Amino acid sequence: MTEAMVPAPSEDVPAFVRADGPDKVTGSGRYTADITLTGMLAAKFRYAGVSHARITRLDVEPARAIPGVFAVITADDVPDVEFSYGIADRRLFAKDVVRFEGEVLAAVAALTPELAQQAADAIIFEYDELQVVTDLEAALADSSPLVHDDLDAYTITGDTPHGGNVATHSSITVGDAGAARESADVVVSSRYVADASHAVPIEPRAVVAQWEGDKVTVYTSTQVPFDARNGVCETLELPASRVRVIVPHLGGGFGGKCGFHYEAHIAALSRAAGRPVKLVFSRWEEFVAPDRRREGMIIDVTTSMAADGTIVAREADILVDNGAYIADASFFAQAAAMHVAGPYRIPNVRIDSKLIYTNHQPSGSVRAPTAPQGCWASELHTDELAAAVGLDPLEFRRRNIVRTGDVGPSGQTYEEIGLEQCLELASTSAGWGRDLPDDEALGVGIGWWPSFGAPAGAYMKMHGDGSAQIITGANECGTGSVMTLRMLAADEIGIDPSAIELIYQDTAVAPVGPGASGSQTLFNHGRAVEGAARQIADQLRDLAADHLEANADDIVLADGKASVAGSPAIAVDISELAATAASGELLLGKGNAEIRDWPTLSGSSCLGEQGFSSFLAPQFFCHVSRVRVDRDTGVARVLEVHTAHDSGTILNPMAAHGQIEGGVMMGVGQALTEGTRHGDDARQLNPALLEYKLQTIADAPSIHTQFVEIFTPNAGPKGSKGLAEAPNVPTAASVGNAIAAVIGKPVRRLPMTAERVWEAVEGLDQPDSSTDATTYTGGAQ
Amino acid sequence: MTDTTSTSPTPAASGAAADINAVSLSVNGAPYNVAIATDRNLSGVLRNEMGLTGTKEGCDDCECGACMVLLDGQPINSCSYLAIQCQGREITTVEGLASRDDLHPLQRNILAAGGVQCGFCTPGMLMSAHALLETNPEPTQEEIRIGLSGNLCRCTGYAKIIEAVANTAAETPVAPPSAG
Repeated sequence: MTEAMVPAPSEDVPAFVRADGPDKVTGSGRYTADITLTGMLAAKFRYAGVSHARITRLDVEPARAIPGVFAVITADDVPDVEFSYGIADRRLFAKDVVRFEGEVLAAVAALTPELAQQAADAIIFEYDELQVVTDLEAALADSSPLVHDDLDAYTITGDTPHGGNVATHSSITVGDAGAARESADVVVSSRYVADASHAVPIEPRAVVAQWEGDKVTVYTSTQVPFDARNGVCETLELPASRVRVIVPHLGGGFGGKCGFHYEAHIAALSRAAGRPVKLVFSRWEEFVAPDRRREGMIIDVTTSMAADGTIVAREADILVDNGAYIADASFFAQAAAMHVAGPYRIPNVRIDSKLIYTNHQPSGSVRAPTAPQGCWASELHTDELAAAVGLDPLEFRRRNIVRTGDVGPSGQTYEEIGLEQCLELASTSAGWGRDLPDDEALGVGIGWWPSFGAPAGAYMKMHGDGSAQIITGANECGTGSVMTLRMLAADEIGIDPSAIELIYQDTAVAPVGPGASGSQTLFNHGRAVEGAARQIADQLRDLAADHLEANADDIVLADGKASVAGSPAIAVDISELAATAASGELLLGKGNAEIRDWPTLSGSSCLGEQGFSSFLAPQFFCHVSRVRVDRDTGVARVLEVHTAHDSGTILNPMAAHGQIEGGVMMGVGQALTEGTRHGDDARQLNPALLEYKLQTIADAPSIHTQFVEIFTPNAGPKGSKGLAEAPNVPTAASVGNAIAAVIGKPVRRLPMTAERVWEAVEGLDQPDSSTDATTYTGGAQ
Repeated sequence: MTDTTSTSPTPAASGAAADINAVSLSVNGAPYNVAIATDRNLSGVLRNEMGLTGTKEGCDDCECGACMVLLDGQPINSCSYLAIQCQGREITTVEGLASRDDLHPLQRNILAAGGVQCGFCTPGMLMSAHALLETNPEPTQEEIRIGLSGNLCRCTGYAKIIEAVANTAAETPVAPPSAG
């Protein structure tokens, strides 16, 4: 076999066996769908099945008449509450108008899933079809039908310029990009179009709700238990004290299980039925119904350069497909603008980015929202820029990337960053410039992604036997980040991580936190856990100081002992101190993650400020992919991916490598096969794993990873930044540039399927040719 | 317009009760005599009738492999296998891999290699790997990839899973060919 068949060696990565591992490998671990409660009923939804229509009749009586059906509920049976971030444009159940095929009309609880489905199908739904909005450009026309008749009828919060089918409009303006273009030597314009794609966790989502008196417990496959709880509270008008959200083991999320989804539907259904109720999604529902999928985008970008390849200006117009409801996407326009700008020194910038309502499934945060598509467009464009001035793609980037102390394209000045090192390490690892067969090439992609500061708390207690517990609102979606919290606490207290148990994913016991979203687990929950552990460490030092007749400031906690600095023989077992505390003042700690402020900007102005114009503790990265392309069939195969990441200090190397490898694999899927197709009726054409292809183990490239560990102050624990989203960002870009290098032109549509690669080879990629790249020399003539 | 048809591609339930059959089968070495409706799939019976929820359901369409179990040693997608077809047959699920005291070498190695993240694909992945090593104790990288190509994983990028299977094969003595 070729070397591509050999996985990257991991001998140099310290062992880390995750605490939840034995539960997961033996099958004893319970996920939400595994839960059975006494008297439990099965839930099914009735969906709209039509993309835009006015409801004229919704008759649930035929469903209620079926023996074994305990409850059927609709918008009439829950409080009339509109919700969502930024624009409160949505209700739990459709009322008056449906705006996408997966909108929930009614929920049924019955003795079995089959009976519940039969009842859902028996509901009579009559409607008048409305014109659908599917095309992002047509949606902007004055004559376009509107997805929402009157946005201003909704409660709108934040800096959210909107109107017509535009949900939000964000811009970045620095200097005078138009004037810079007029006097530039070389100008290149490109259009790129990315299809929507999906998170596709292997676990379909599930929700179980059970009422006891006026309190409800909801077991749910969410990444963000506090968001889920708050959603139940808001929509069912319940106080937080009466809603408990518990997350059993979570079978992956990738953003798809962020936010608030069906917890309130099932809680309301359970209350109506007087029984516990369980909902388990099919794969079709997982594709069609949730308001979390990766957004389609159209990106028009023009870059002006000096003859030596120095970028002098970038102008871009970006259209982002919001789908029917805004979910959590209000920041997408601004985030997309940042990724199309890219981590380059650009003195003049004019980027306008619009989030557009359509009758598609709503978009929402999927692993680094807007970034893989924005990076793909920006980086393919960058290789076009390099070609236009006759520079090697690597050399072109060296001349233009941001380095420590530079000002980026939105006016942010960077402290110590490692993009330059990432570029050199990944390209060296890949053997940039080496001879390859003529059907293979290397491609490079660089990018960036912020870290996010959010409130998070933690408790900790040490028992009389010296073992301890962390109580955290963090959520383990698989990354290993929650497992790593034990290591942070152990470092503070001086005991072995295996002596610390984790209590997590239960809103009734843990303090609030952002959960598994935005790569925030260690960045925020980790700092809270450190704070809680430090309080216990301080108590232990005081006890040890008494015991050893020493100064508390001189006590060192390590290896299960408290000892005097410089005199390791003067020591006492921490378990002995814990026993002392158990009969006196108990060892209890609490911690809060200090809020991190966003960096300030200078010299720029941004419309539609959604918190993405500057990057807190920015992560930087470079991927270089080796790709083989069959020019006759268009089939591309990714053979190797060489990655280098600046995510600050790496806290858990094995988990970090796991995030890189998984992110790369998802990126390869986005590059080559993962794209949602829509019919003229705005419904999805391929909502199944047979037609929406994930990468399999047979497709896996070898992945080689290096970390640029720059200690980053004012960031996460021990100088760390976020990590889990970043590796998903630049892979598609690097694959795209490799394909372009083999076939001599970029494939301007994502995913770059075999059909699209072949069309590009054959010159048949006409849909984009009217706005194809035009390279010309301007001011130098 | 009136739409009274299902919006789900799942066929609507007929409402008519399916025939019930008495089925004798063995799961992880334990005999079961169960009454099973003819339309029940094996994964549903394992999970709901027998409480063996280690077998996962990810697609109901033979695409993800999360429901993989062994039927007389052969890996099958139990979501798409009728339970009544298991009369007189031996089924092994992930719960049957470990002994009371020790993890199976595949379980130990997949943890050691870092091949478990969310864990939802892990039971099916382990069953496919187990079936592979039973028939091919010294697989090449390519044979591991083919053997596990029916199991989707969204978390790991697969490299650590390949490593775990290869490490298990490497540490397991292969019986020499019998003399004569």
